[in-house]
Amino acid sequence: MEKISRYILVFVGIITLAIILPEFYWMTFKKPIRIPFVLYSCVDNEFMIQRISEKKWIDTKGKEYSREEYEEKLPLMFSKQLLASGTMPDSINGVALDMRAISREKSFFRLKASDIDAPVPDLYPLFESRSGRAQLELPEDFFRITWRIDFIDAQTNKILEEKSQMFSAALFQKGFLFPAKKISGLPTPRKSCDEGYLIVDSKDQLFHLKMIKGKPFVKKIDLPEGLKFRQISCVDFKNKDFYAYLISDKNEIYIIKQDTYQLIKWPVDGYNSAKSELKIFGDFFNYTVIIEADDHLKAIALDKQYNIAGSYTEKWPVQEQLWEGRIFASIFPAQLSMTSDKSKFIRFYFSRTKGYTWIILNLLLAAFHFILLKRRKTRLKNHLADMGIVAICGIFGFIAIHFFQNKFFD
Amino acid sequence: MMWKSVFYKEWLKIRWFWLGYTTMAIFVILYLFLTVKHSFAFTGGKNTWNNILFLGNQFFSPLKFVPLAGGLAVALAQYFPETVNKRIKLTLHLPIKDNKVLLLMHSFGGACLMISYILTCGLFAGFGLVYFPVQIVTSCMISIFPWFLAGLTGYFLIALIVLEPNWKFRIYYSLIGGFFLSIYLKSPVLAGYSHANSGLFILTALVSVVFLFSAYRFKKGEV
Amino acid sequence: MNNVIECNDLTHFYGEKLVFENLNFQVKEGSILGLLGKNGTGKTTAFNILNGFLQPRGGKCFIFGEDTQHLSPKTKARIGFLIEGHIQYSFMNIHQIEKFYSGFYPNWKPAAYWELISKLNVSPGQKISTMSCGQRSQVALGLILAQDPDLLILDDFSMGLDPGYRRLFIDYLREYAKAENKTIFTTSHIIQDMERLIDDLLIIDFNRVLVQSSVNEFLGNFRRYDFVLENEEADLKRKHFILNIERVKNKVELYTYSTESDVKKYLTDNKILFSNFRQVNMGLEDAFIGLTGKY
Repeated sequence: MEKISRYILVFVGIITLAIILPEFYWMTFKKPIRIPFVLYSCVDNEFMIQRISEKKWIDTKGKEYSREEYEEKLPLMFSKQLLASGTMPDSINGVALDMRAISREKSFFRLKASDIDAPVPDLYPLFESRSGRAQLELPEDFFRITWRIDFIDAQTNKILEEKSQMFSAALFQKGFLFPAKKISGLPTPRKSCDEGYLIVDSKDQLFHLKMIKGKPFVKKIDLPEGLKFRQISCVDFKNKDFYAYLISDKNEIYIIKQDTYQLIKWPVDGYNSAKSELKIFGDFFNYTVIIEADDHLKAIALDKQYNIAGSYTEKWPVQEQLWEGRIFASIFPAQLSMTSDKSKFIRFYFSRTKGYTWIILNLLLAAFHFILLKRRKTRLKNHLADMGIVAICGIFGFIAIHFFQNKFFD
Repeated sequence: MMWKSVFYKEWLKIRWFWLGYTTMAIFVILYLFLTVKHSFAFTGGKNTWNNILFLGNQFFSPLKFVPLAGGLAVALAQYFPETVNKRIKLTLHLPIKDNKVLLLMHSFGGACLMISYILTCGLFAGFGLVYFPVQIVTSCMISIFPWFLAGLTGYFLIALIVLEPNWKFRIYYSLIGGFFLSIYLKSPVLAGYSHANSGLFILTALVSVVFLFSAYRFKKGEV
Repeated sequence: MNNVIECNDLTHFYGEKLVFENLNFQVKEGSILGLLGKNGTGKTTAFNILNGFLQPRGGKCFIFGEDTQHLSPKTKARIGFLIEGHIQYSFMNIHQIEKFYSGFYPNWKPAAYWELISKLNVSPGQKISTMSCGQRSQVALGLILAQDPDLLILDDFSMGLDPGYRRLFIDYLREYAKAENKTIFTTSHIIQDMERLIDDLLIIDFNRVLVQSSVNEFLGNFRRYDFVLENEEADLKRKHFILNIERVKNKVELYTYSTESDVKKYLTDNKILFSNFRQVNMGLEDAFIGLTGKY
């Protein structure tokens, strides 16, 4: 039993060291990787790149610009600045510019991998869509969808039966199959108006739910066969063009047009929602989709008909390729972490070190341990498992087997 | 019925600490729900729910280190008296297998702690369901569960450290133990531990027997 | 008669320092054996090995035929154990501690415990930690007697006790042992106490056994002769039969197993002139110091 206890301790020791040693290493040596800021210029039909740390503004051909020249290439983004300096053009590409229109078409959307792989609440506030009031107010009750839809009064924690039955019936009539798999919306009163929730039922059908003058509004949205969504992010844009960005489980980007519920797939590929961050800049002429991964950036500009206007890709070396990463790879066989920047969940995130340079250190430590044992004149037979642990787990195993001594008498 | 005598001795050692800890834990729960009640009265139920669901408010966060404090207190109350003048020799001399008596002692302390924890969680859930629907209470329970595992793990590790006869190794165990415990005590979003709780539970179960290692080292006269 | 305790080729080191090497001794059933030795000769080490709290570097010890490193519960029930300093669970009071221990021994004799405890002047709820050394020793003794073991291993039963308590211990122990043919293996730093209690002794010195015999036999054979040297500078060559010599100017104390005539013959053979030659009777303490030397 004592031997089992020791091996459990060695195991716990290895886990702990695999977490803290790499963490301390990175805390000491990690350098930030500055991702360039890329935007599409409707003036030149070209991408403009800002390298923040180097204070450089360039285009894809490498030509350098001053800050003012750069901003003039992006009048829709920097309209305020250009107006102030008096360099704002009256028209672009033959289209007269109306400040109000510019402001209305401006939008920004951001989706991190950790926004998707995160716990989701089970209760949501259903706002009154047509309250007639200038500001939205948080309702008194919250809903959840289990075997039916329940509205629960927050102050009393009691189910509002009538309202629940009314809304449940409405959903049922539209073919909703309980329970809900996904409920997506904007559960905050800080939006221009309320467009309710997009809800996926148990058979992956998509519905739109709103409350209008206290009564349920339910619309079933037709989806192509087999289309499933990994993420639905509702948006509140001034142009009221679409309800949400939807990411399919094949990492395709869709939008749903407001009122017509037309589902449109954007011609964007190369997006991995589990590993990359998505940024979408909307303006009067274009949508610029920026995909930021660990080792590269891809920018795709779409026109207002959602056709590709241009694309740009840039790669950079990752941690593993820099000298800090190479030294890491020759010391640590793997890294364990409880957190990840790609998720909000706590998990045992295990990443084996790429390459095999760490094996050298492992074998050196195993040999060193062997020499130590020989000097202590111990019976090697009892220490074979320890040697194996050092050979496989490297420095983690070496420290663990010394912290928990292999000294048994019998 | 030797186990009765073993439990009797352990109870004599820990009873006041256990009672004190359990009382304190109950007061903490009462305090938490007093703040909830206050929030309901002053900002309203809907804002309280909204803050928890969407604005990251974790009203139960004062509870975080409470179970760990209990684990440490019971472990010290139980094992420290055994190391003074090596009194544990008296127990190991009793006509019962060494590991059996040690495991009985350990199970008793662990069981008392668990009773305390179950009481605390039960109270939490009970009060919770008064103010919140089951979905919010479940998310809160997922968030506080690792803290209780930390308490049990802390109990198991303190036994290991206190029984170890050699100071150098006590320090090593404390270093590893301290960092290991931090795994249970991260501060993610509500229900962030959903996917980790079962793994942590298994780890805690494994750690429950590690104290036998240092007890063995003590018995064999390691210094 | 069986050997209740048997230690064979016992060897132990503390780090690199040798404590004892190839130590052999036996304790027969029904005997009361005292272990004597100077500080640091390994008495506590021997006790720890016997109780299974230390693994010797070499050799083995057996109690009732079982290896002391793996005593079965049944055998442990037959062994009564006193830790140096009468260490007990002092967070308990006299009632709690009796209740605790009684649960482990089916042959528990509460009358033996309470008879001793009734002599104590303590309140019922008084914790052992608040009692004096002597009172604690009485509790420890009571618990051992109530356990009714066949073998008692007592590591320094006199530690911290005043004469009254020490006498109480010795009287009870001896009566108990003799009445029921119990075996006792003990040590004490107060040798007069040992003399009152033990029948057999084992004297160890650094690395070896000096004496293993009955007390009577030892005191019968080990002698001290005092004499005065005519010549203060006379050199008393160390001969093998002279185990120890204490000398102040020309007054000599000579310790040996040899007879008076052999000693006198040695002195005359070496032309050492002496006077006032006489044998001095020794108690056990004198004999022990004579054998092992003063510090």
